[in-house]
Order: sequence, then C-alpha cells, then structure tokens
Amino acid sequence: MIESTLSELESRAAASIDAAATPDSLETARVEFLGRKGALASIGKDMGKLPPEQRAVVGKMLNAVKQSLESQFDSKKAAFDKAALDSRLAAEWLDVTRPAPGVRPGSLHPLTLIQRELEDYFTSLGFAVVDGPEVETEWHNFDALNIPATHPARDAQDTFWVEGGHVLRTHTSPVQVRAMEKFGAPLRIIAPGRVFRNEEVDASHEHTFYQLEGMMIDRDVSIAHMLYFMKGLLEAIFSREVTVRLRPGFFPFVEPGFELDIQCLICGGPGCPVCKQSGWVELLPCGLVHPNVLRAGGIDPDQWNGFAFGLGLTRLVMMRYAIDDIRHLASGDLRFLRQF
Amino acid sequence: MKFSYNWLSELLDGALPGPAELTRLITMKTAECEGVEAFAPALAHAVAARVLEVTPIEGSHNVQARIDAGPVHGVKQVVCGAPNCRAGLVTAYLPAGAEIDGRVISKVTISGVESDGMLASAAELSINRDHSGILEIDIEPGSPLPGLAADHVIEVDNKSLTHRPDLWGHYGLAREIAAITGAKLKDPVKASLLPAGEPLYAVEIEDHSLSPRYSALVFENVTVQPSPLWLQARLEAAGMNAINNIVDVTNYIGAELAEPMHAFDADKLQGNTIYVRRAKSGEPYDALNGESYTLEPRHLVIADSGGAIALAGVIGGAGSAINSETTRIVLESANFDAACIRKTSAEMKLRTDASMRFEKAQDPKNTVRALARAIALFEIVSPGIRLHGGMIDNFKAPPAPAPITLPMEWLIRKLGRPIEAAEVRAILESLEFGVAESAPGVFEVTVPSWRATKDVTIKDDLLEEVGRMVGYSSIPPEPPLKPVQRPWVNHERLFHHDLRQKVAAQGFTETYNYSFVSEAMAARFGFTPDQHVHVLNPISVEQSLMRISLLPGIHRNIVDNARYSDEFRLFEIGNEIHKRQSNELPHEVPHLMAAIHTKADGSAAYYELKRLAECLMPGCEAAPASSLGYEHSARAAAITWRGREAGRIFELHPSLVESGRASVLDANLAVLFELGPAPKRYQPLRRFPSSSFDLSVVAGLRELTGDLGGRIRAAAGANCDSVEFLYSYQGHPLPDDKQSLSYRITVSAPDHTLSNEELTGIRAAIIEALKAAGYELRG
Repeated sequence: MIESTLSELESRAAASIDAAATPDSLETARVEFLGRKGALASIGKDMGKLPPEQRAVVGKMLNAVKQSLESQFDSKKAAFDKAALDSRLAAEWLDVTRPAPGVRPGSLHPLTLIQRELEDYFTSLGFAVVDGPEVETEWHNFDALNIPATHPARDAQDTFWVEGGHVLRTHTSPVQVRAMEKFGAPLRIIAPGRVFRNEEVDASHEHTFYQLEGMMIDRDVSIAHMLYFMKGLLEAIFSREVTVRLRPGFFPFVEPGFELDIQCLICGGPGCPVCKQSGWVELLPCGLVHPNVLRAGGIDPDQWNGFAFGLGLTRLVMMRYAIDDIRHLASGDLRFLRQF
Repeated sequence: MKFSYNWLSELLDGALPGPAELTRLITMKTAECEGVEAFAPALAHAVAARVLEVTPIEGSHNVQARIDAGPVHGVKQVVCGAPNCRAGLVTAYLPAGAEIDGRVISKVTISGVESDGMLASAAELSINRDHSGILEIDIEPGSPLPGLAADHVIEVDNKSLTHRPDLWGHYGLAREIAAITGAKLKDPVKASLLPAGEPLYAVEIEDHSLSPRYSALVFENVTVQPSPLWLQARLEAAGMNAINNIVDVTNYIGAELAEPMHAFDADKLQGNTIYVRRAKSGEPYDALNGESYTLEPRHLVIADSGGAIALAGVIGGAGSAINSETTRIVLESANFDAACIRKTSAEMKLRTDASMRFEKAQDPKNTVRALARAIALFEIVSPGIRLHGGMIDNFKAPPAPAPITLPMEWLIRKLGRPIEAAEVRAILESLEFGVAESAPGVFEVTVPSWRATKDVTIKDDLLEEVGRMVGYSSIPPEPPLKPVQRPWVNHERLFHHDLRQKVAAQGFTETYNYSFVSEAMAARFGFTPDQHVHVLNPISVEQSLMRISLLPGIHRNIVDNARYSDEFRLFEIGNEIHKRQSNELPHEVPHLMAAIHTKADGSAAYYELKRLAECLMPGCEAAPASSLGYEHSARAAAITWRGREAGRIFELHPSLVESGRASVLDANLAVLFELGPAPKRYQPLRRFPSSSFDLSVVAGLRELTGDLGGRIRAAAGANCDSVEFLYSYQGHPLPDDKQSLSYRITVSAPDHTLSNEELTGIRAAIIEALKAAGYELRG
C-alpha cells in the first residue's frame, strides 16, 4: 500500500544519502528522491487519487518523510562543505617564518632623536624653539656675550674664522642675543644646533658638535628657579636617578656662572675615556644672564633678569647610548646609524 | 696652573683637609681642578748616605757601592750606574719600600750583585731635571734631605682661572682655602723690608693706561749660582725649570704672588732711566729665547737709552740677561694693561708665564709686595747680596672703584634661598672684601685690589661670592611663579622634523655630515673654490671650504657604506652655505638629500626616489633636465612643485660610483617650506558613477609617458577625472623603434551619469587628437 511504499522509499533514500561519498553523488540522491521530479514528488502527485480521509493521513506521513530526508541531506551537505573548506585552508599553508618583502623603515640620527625629545619637553614648559645661523657675526658670537676681543675667554674657544670677519659659531649662545633682539622680554627659548671648534678630532673631541642653548628672562628669576628647570631637564633626559653636582664655572655671559656635572653614566664614577677618567661629566654649564648680555639684547637689566644654560647634546647622546667614540656620529656609517 | 699642597699649607695656619678633599673643595667652591697627584713621594723615605767604598762590577758600567746610611739604615750595599758615584760622596739613599716613578723599590740583584735600595739623582727625586748623576749634598748621613718633603700637586684648569688674576699664585688660592676651611691666611710678604731713599734709576712711563705701575729694586754683590734644593723642588712641583738663584726667585714669586718679575743685569743697561714706551716702528729686538723680532708701536717695551731691553710683560731681552758673571741686577716688578699684553703675546705666539698672568689683569698694588718678598728670598739664595739705593716706583693709580651697593633683599631674591646678613658679611670679609652697612639690609662692599681689576665690578659678582661659599647645593630648586605665555612656534623646524620622519618611514637612514669640504672634494663635483665661503684657519685641508651642496658628504656616505652593503638608502637634512656679496653673513639654505645605492641597473632606485619626492610633494612633476657634470647624462630631472623649482632627481655619474649605482633626490627645503602644505578643501563626493576605458598608443621609444598622458588629458575635456599610465609594451607585432603605451582614462560628470553616446564621444575626441598628432592606436 501507499504507506508501505513510502516507508520503503524513506529507507532507500536514507541509505542513498548515507552512501553518498562525494558532493556529486549526494546531489544525485537529492535529485532522485527530493527533486522536483523525484520519487517523493511523484508520490505527492499520486495522492490526489486517494480518498480524502486517507489523503490527510498520507499527506502528513509524506511531509514527515520529506523533512527527515531533507535534514539528513543538509547535514551531509554541511559535512561535505566543511571538509572542502578544511582541505582548501590546509592547501593554503603559509611559511610564516619567511621574511616579509619590501623596504624597512630607516632610522633617525641619535642627535635628531635627542633634539626632538628635548624640544618637546621644553615646548611643554612654554619655551619657543629658535634657530640661528651656523656662520655667525663676531659680535653675536663674542662681543654681545660679554667677550670682547681682548678677553682671554676667547682662547678657550678655538674659533674657525671665515671671510668677512665672521666665525663658525663656537656655541649656540649667540642665539640668546638673536632671540632677545627678536622677541624682547619676557622670554623662554631653547636653541639646539650645530657648533664648531677648531680642534683635532679623536675619540672624545670633534670640530663639529651639537649644543642646546636655553634661556629664560622674566622678573626676579633666581638660582633656585634655574635649578628647578635644570633638575627637571635631567630627569626628563635620563628618566632615572642621576647624581649631580653644581659648582662655580666661569663663562663671561653669565654671573654667577655654574657647571652642573653628572656622574658618568658609562663608568658610574671610577673613570673612563668619556669622562676623561674623572668620574664626572660636565653636562650643563649654566648661570644667571650677565647684565651686559641683557643690554646687548636690548633688555633693561634693572627690570628683567634670567638664567641661561648650554647643554652638550653630543656628549649627552654618547652617554645616553653608551657610545664610546664621538667619531661615529659624523661617520655616516649605516652599521652605526641603523642602531637607533 | 699647578699648585703644591705643601706650599699652600705653608701659607695657612690651621689644619687643612687632605689633598684629595682639598681638591674637591676647591672644585666645588672656587675653580675646577683637573686632578691631584702625589709629587716626589720618594722624598718621604730619602736620607743622606755617605759612599764608603766603590768596587767595579766586571762586564758592567755599574759599580757596587758600600754606603753608610746613618743610624737607622746602617751600612748597605747598592748597585749604582751614576758616573759621579765615588767614595766619600754624600748623596741621597732610597731604601727598599720607597716609591719612585710609580714603582716601589725592592731588594734586587743587578749585574749579579745584590742591591738593597738605590742612590738617586735629583731628577729621580723630582727636585729638578738633572739626571747626569746622583745627588751631591753636604749633610750628615742618615738625616732627611733638608727642606724637601713628599708633596701633592693640584692641577687647576686654566680656563676656570680666566677671570681670577689672584689665583695665578699660591697665595691667592691659599686665601680661598682660608675662606673655605676657616684656616688663617699667613702673608709671606714683609713690606718693612722695602728700602727708603733715593733710587738709582728714574722710570718714565709714556702711557699709564698701558702700564699703570713700574717698580724695581737694584741689588749689588749678587752671586749667581744654583738655588737651594727646596726652592728647585718648589719650582719643579709648580711645573717650572730651575735655572739659577736669581731667575728662580722671580719665578718663585710669580708662582706665589702672581706677580711676574724680571731681572736685568744692571751692568748691561745704558743710562739711568728706564723707559716704558711703545716700540718704534721697525725697532729690532732680540729676546731671551734666541729669536729676533721686529716691533711696531702697538707693542709695549721696556727700554734703556740704548733701546728695547724687554718686550713688556712677555719676554726679557738677550742683551741684558743675567749670567754667571752678573754681580748687579735691576729687578723689575711692573704692571701692564691686560689687553695690550694679550694682543702682543697672541701676535708673537709667545705664551709665557708672565703674559698668561698679565693678560688676566693683575693688581698694580702687588708690584711692591713682590719686591719685598724678593728681598727676603734673595738674602737666602745669594748670601751677601745688598740693596743699592731706594725703591724705584712710578705709579699712577687708576681711580678707585666706588663701593658696590648690595641690598640683602636683592641678594636673597636672586639666590632663591634665605640667608642672614651676618653670614653674607662673614663670607665677604673672609675673602677680604670691605663690608659696611649703609642702611638697614644694605651693604656697601669695597672690592680688594686683586679682585678689582676686572673680576668684581657689579653686585651680580658679589652674588657669586656669597653663593659659591654657602654652597650651591644648599639652594632648593623652586618652580617660578610667572605668567604663562603662548610660545612662538617654529613651523620651519617642525616641518624639517616632519620630513625626517616621512623620509625615514620610506626606508632611508639619517646621516649627519660635516659642513666642511676640502677643495679636492669640491672639485670632484665641479665646484670651484671661489664659489665657497673659505675657512681662514682650518686645521687641515679637509675643513677649508663650507659646503655649497650636501652632495660631497652624501657621496662620501655612499662610497663608505658600499664597502659593507650593496643596497641601502640614506639621507641628510642640513644647510648649504652660500657666499653673499660684501660682508653679509652667508646665505644658509636648508636642503634634503636622499640617496639609494644599488647593484641593479638603477632605474628602480631612480623611480623609488621619484616616489619619495611624491610622498613629500604630492603632485610634483619631473622634467628631463640637462645634466650637471656629476649627473648621469640621461638620468637627470628637475622637479617642480606647484609651479616652483623644488629640486632634482638624478643618478650619480658612473665615474663617481664604482660599487654600483646611486640615485639622489635633492630638495630645497626653503622652497618647500615657503609653499607650505598643499591647501586642502573638501570637494563634494560625485553623486554619479564614473566610467573608465583603456587606450594603447603606439609611440616612439623615447616618447615621454608624462607628455603623452598630458595630451590625452587635454583631449578628454572637462569631464576627465584622471589619466593613469598602465604599462608599456615593446615587441611583436610592433616595429623595433616603437612601443605601445597604455593608459586608463576615467571620466564622469558632476550632474548626471554619462551616456554611452557621451563616452563614445570623449573616446573619439581623444583618438582623433592623437591621430592628428601622428600617433596610431593599438587594438
């Protein structure tokens, strides 16, 4: 009878789905039993010939069989899809250890890195970053800084002279004067840059190096204020405890003048070539701006005063990165430069 | 400047810290010390010994000596190589355990003979530089060497004494030590020794501004002979050479009181007047150093009626020099203008102990003190010496500087910490400033003459005196309470930093090259010396010119790095320095130079630099440019950006790069900064879709892709969005002298979707224009 036919059909279809070994044979089974012209469809068509009361019973049975077969088909199909995807992914294996193609970023010179860092630090404290010329007038480099032509302090700065009576600036201090001329008081500036001294080059001497000049002019600036900025600067630079000492230092453009030394970070105190065996490195000459310098910059020393400092960036870079030979910095040697 | 610890101790009453601690205190409160070293440590062990018997050692120039070293050491046997080692001689004996030249003497066997200690020369004992034989003395065996002791030498950095004329002598430093430690300063000068009465010589000073004071004494019955050993040892400690008793005393006083002196042989002087005058033009002068000089009026001389006898404050003359025959001397103690001495000494390249002191502006009151000191010392070193006549002294005292007003309230504000008036007074008085309270809390401070020449003139100088003596470490850091102001922004510098970041992100590593080039380096690039700013005093030819291009430096980087690496990229941002007319400062123009070195054929590197240029200057254009000498003649382009010439891209001429190929981008950052970032303004997004079609054009092999693209763009009309180069093709079926260049043209309209007819029209217009220009199209 029709019920037994249906039941027998269900068994056969289930066996076919079960037996399908490939997506194609599964599809063949689906078409044979569940397709529009398949076995279940033709039974459906024959149902019209049944008496109405039997038709409802058979219809229910037919739906149940169809749903059961469809569900078997779907799960089998999902298994085939998953297997296919798995095998595709497996085939797409990559050797993740292979080097990536393309250029790598280059690197910035350590002197650039330290300048940027200090510029950011001082900008956050309200200082402007100013530049001055590398070839400077004698007046800005010396006279305006309270170093007249006959002053013995000129001996301390082995000066390169160029045509026109000009000099290669021996320090970044002339930018103090240029900044006072340009901005007046009050004033907070730093001036990083390249300076020149007529010296033979060896592991710790260069004729070309970098300094960072700083100056603050306001009303009633004290040594205590200066120390606040110097201490903050050193903490920002080293982000660790450093041992420092402040002692008298002579620079004609400050009065009083100081040398701020830090304990050598390369040897930690016992002495090495970088600290010239002394255990201390002169890092931060500083002082209160000499009234004559304020006058040269057009500022009234009875109304304003301030402090100034000069940081040896080249020496700082050497300490920061434990570089034992100053000549690396201008060598252009990529084996050195790429380390930064 | 070298300071003897023993000498300093002699000038002070009271216990001193040890040499190391004293050195630290001087550094922290007065002037930077370079270091402290043991000096003549062997003298702690040396005793006199008599040579009893000398026996030759076969096969050796050494001898075996039996010596009597006194009751403590007894009779010893030593080996000695000195030629003067003979029986009966009393000399210096160093027992085992003594230290000499950093090594400890021990019992050793020399030439097969045991030597228990050694006999020493004066040089070995650091008394003087005589090592021709062992010391010869005349004292009891076993006694210590008289007046000689182991010492320490503190070396103070000359640079930190630039402003302190007084610290060029031991007495000045002793005064500082007294103020630091509380010890009491002992003045070695007895002014009462100065003779009254008529002087033998008159002094005429032509210009008191060049020589405020000239003082002198005449001595007779002088015996010129070696100085006593203690005096020689003092000079040795201070870094000077013993010469004879007269010269040694002048040098001793120079190192003690900072007053340079000079002794003339009085019998060699002409006339009874000493002149201090400007040299005559062309005046000849033979100096003590054996050199002859031709002088000019800018030089100051000491002269007798016969001519110059000394170059004032710098060096004495040969004609009036003392020698072993001398019996009468004129001892000069003068004061000269610092600037004048400095100029002469620099011009003549004569940096003497005298000129170094005078150029610091010495105290004119010191001349007679030095003379008084000399009287006392001469009596010791030249027994029988007599003064002849009174003191010669021509002095026009400069006006005394007014006292400095020092308000306590100002001092405390500048110091940044509280301090009692009594402490300020005590500090200043310990340094021999005169302190008077003119009003409550206000001091009138009188500067001592040895600090008044240049060093201390304003109240800021007094702030330093107080600050260094209280100790700068006693000032607590304190943030200032000041109005905040928005700082000026250095956009140009930020722009350079931003560029560095961008260029590095494209694989380039930053280098810093010198601003100097040599003439040879410049010549390799066709730059001539007269294009450059010249350094007038270079150390070497490597620094003779200032760079007008970053290229020589970058080229050196390329050549150097090619030794280690085939493929690399580097760049520099730095100033070109260009000469200007007249005496204006040179024109400093910031440039970026980026380079790629490769072993490959170089075209990829070239285009990579073009890509870099586009990263930095979006939309910049490269046009073929006639090549410069250092450029590859067929690979050079001028870069324009927004209508301005902004730089060049070129491959270096193969003769400059033997290791491979190198391409270079040179950009003028002044132009880039002036142009600023390209202005940005929002354009409404197109609401209607765009369409694209490709065209392949047959063109000559040297057809410029950019030019042909421009032609297509012009023909495509207003609705053209872009013309994009796709690829080029050479080969079948094209003839050998042709290539095909393919472009993708994208078009759209702002207000409607382009119809098929419109698209066909644009395409036809392009083709027509190309055909009219003589091109054929493919496919």
